[in-house]
Amino acid sequence: MTDALESFRQEVRDWLAANAPTDWREADTHPRFVESQRAWFKKLVAGGYAVPHWPAKWPGGGRSLAEQKVIYEEIARADTPRLLLSFVSTYHAFSTIEECGGEAHKARYLAAILEGETWCQGFSEPNAGSDLAALKTKAELKGDVYVVNGQKVWSTMAQYADKCLLLVRTSSDGPKQAGLTYLLMDMKAPGVTVRPIHQITGDEEFAEIFLDNVEVPASERVGEEGKGWAVAQSTLASERGLTLMELSYRMRGSLSRIATLIRQNGREDDAGILRDFGRLVTRVDTSCAIADQFLQNRMNGIEAVGDASIVKLTYSRVLREYSLLGVRLGGLAEQYRAPIIFGDLNSGNWMADFMNSYAWTIAGGSDEVQRNIISERMLEMPREPKSWAVAEGAA
Amino acid sequence: MSIDRSELQDAARKAFGEAGLAPDAEKSWGLIAEMGWLMMAVPEELGGLGLGREAEGVIHTEIGRALVPGPVIAQMLVISALNEATDLPERDDLLTRAMGGEVMTASLGVADALSAVPNADLASHILVARDNLVTLQPMDAPTIVFTQRATWDETRRLFDVTIGDASGALILAKGEAAAALADKLKAQMLFALAGDSLGGAGAILELTIEYLQTRRQFDRPLAMFQALKHRVADLKTILNAADALFWARANEVPMLTEIGALKAHACRVFADVSEEAIQLHGGIGLTSEYHCHLFLKRAVLNSALGGDADHWEEQAGKHALGKII
Repeated sequence: MTDALESFRQEVRDWLAANAPTDWREADTHPRFVESQRAWFKKLVAGGYAVPHWPAKWPGGGRSLAEQKVIYEEIARADTPRLLLSFVSTYHAFSTIEECGGEAHKARYLAAILEGETWCQGFSEPNAGSDLAALKTKAELKGDVYVVNGQKVWSTMAQYADKCLLLVRTSSDGPKQAGLTYLLMDMKAPGVTVRPIHQITGDEEFAEIFLDNVEVPASERVGEEGKGWAVAQSTLASERGLTLMELSYRMRGSLSRIATLIRQNGREDDAGILRDFGRLVTRVDTSCAIADQFLQNRMNGIEAVGDASIVKLTYSRVLREYSLLGVRLGGLAEQYRAPIIFGDLNSGNWMADFMNSYAWTIAGGSDEVQRNIISERMLEMPREPKSWAVAEGAA
Repeated sequence: MSIDRSELQDAARKAFGEAGLAPDAEKSWGLIAEMGWLMMAVPEELGGLGLGREAEGVIHTEIGRALVPGPVIAQMLVISALNEATDLPERDDLLTRAMGGEVMTASLGVADALSAVPNADLASHILVARDNLVTLQPMDAPTIVFTQRATWDETRRLFDVTIGDASGALILAKGEAAAALADKLKAQMLFALAGDSLGGAGAILELTIEYLQTRRQFDRPLAMFQALKHRVADLKTILNAADALFWARANEVPMLTEIGALKAHACRVFADVSEEAIQLHGGIGLTSEYHCHLFLKRAVLNSALGGDADHWEEQAGKHALGKII
């Protein structure tokens, strides 16, 4: 590692020592959690560490990959909360608007993200999960507004979001992907109702969004009408690839939690445990390495179809392995319920972390969807027959 | 000096590709020497190419892909050791001969005994690396005994060697320098085995996908069944992630335990992919004329060479526990 990078690491470390929040684990209610998230994001923006992955024209942007890694590792090591509330804003919303949005969208929305405006994602529906393109939420253009009716689900932190990345159906003709349109919706608009979902962890990180004659100005459409599927791919690719470098390096920084457990339990000389730990460390390293490689290729313009799926599939499996080793080492003590810590995938509440890890094997395209993408689109294995009716006919 | 990885990769793949899988040993060896791949890491002023670990990584992955037989890994260890032996008067002469393809071998085993020595019958010298002494022993010493072991993996020829009277050995390093050199050689061997394994895993995965595309059952190619596609996708995922770590490590200065853990992981990936390959091929995967078994046997042998996963993962766990405060 170069001297310049080491001194940058020291700079980040010093800044964190002075600025990292220490009381965030005590946020035992959602309103307190949201308040602590907003305060921490504001500090990170002021310090120039909130959006190292944004281009250089933004304050705190334009960091090299090596610097980004240092920031993510140090932020995790300093035991700070993950930025769950602004996660969709700084990754999904930013990437989508930057790559596909018009100039007016960029002017209206991007700077506002750094000022604390938060976004949620309205993609999945009760009957359109893995089969996302089958979504039915309908938008009809009436004059210069789209009138939207339908229901969205699994929207992270939607109950606190200001804006929504919304995928809607504007036509039922032709292939199902061709009838989709991408809108930027104001969550405060009349007709938007949000209902949190009670999850197995006890948290309410996800929510349902009900849309009842919600009016979205046609000017807030990203891309052309009927071209929403392509825009949505940009959002999903950001989720599958970009976010995972931060999360992989956070997980790496959090290996110290496993190390602490091993010592607390007096298992430092237990060969079996040492092997499992050694294997996990290597697996976490593969997750970091594949995320690095993905970003490097993306910057060099040689991203291939399926690459992001491999990054996500790797991370989601390793995250499960990580939390399961914690559960196992924690033994019976981990089976007694402790307060959950909001917004952390590597919180050290091992049962909660374990259950939370399923969010990554299911959300943003389940592991099974990623396997379809890898086998059919990357490895060019033949697709399944389009519908079961066709399969029946062929048999 | 940096290399264009894909350029070297293309050259090696083209060179090995012509002879098919597990090509003729003698011809392959001639090719490897002729292409200059043995002198990859030797500085230019000593007649080498002055390339680093990444370049060696390319050669080992391509050798693994084509299941090339021969003592390449051992030979590269000897060359590295000679490279460091600045006090040895015969150094330049020996280095030139070794880079030119005169077989000099070394143990790929784990204990101090000289086990798993490739091509000992063809070698002029054998490297003996101990923690306090690294020597190069001429193989024509009268007390040397070598015995070939029949290996399951037919792509490698391994011998047990006993030296007896070692008075004719050339000293390459002593004391602390020897310990440092022995560690360096061990890391080089582990990295090479990791590369060989990932190359092999990549090749058998591609061959398996090809087979699934061609083989038809129930009126459709096997490759259309999601149950099989998902297994293939999982293999592709672990392979690409391991590959990414391999190339990342090629450009770092990792600890020996980290290289050991990488080797353990790469061998597991190779073994997993080869095992699945046989299952996905079905009955034909059990026949000796089909190539699946060659990969599986090489994978399992690679796992055992240079210290197994139990050893390296324990070491890696211990190291990480010490490092993480």
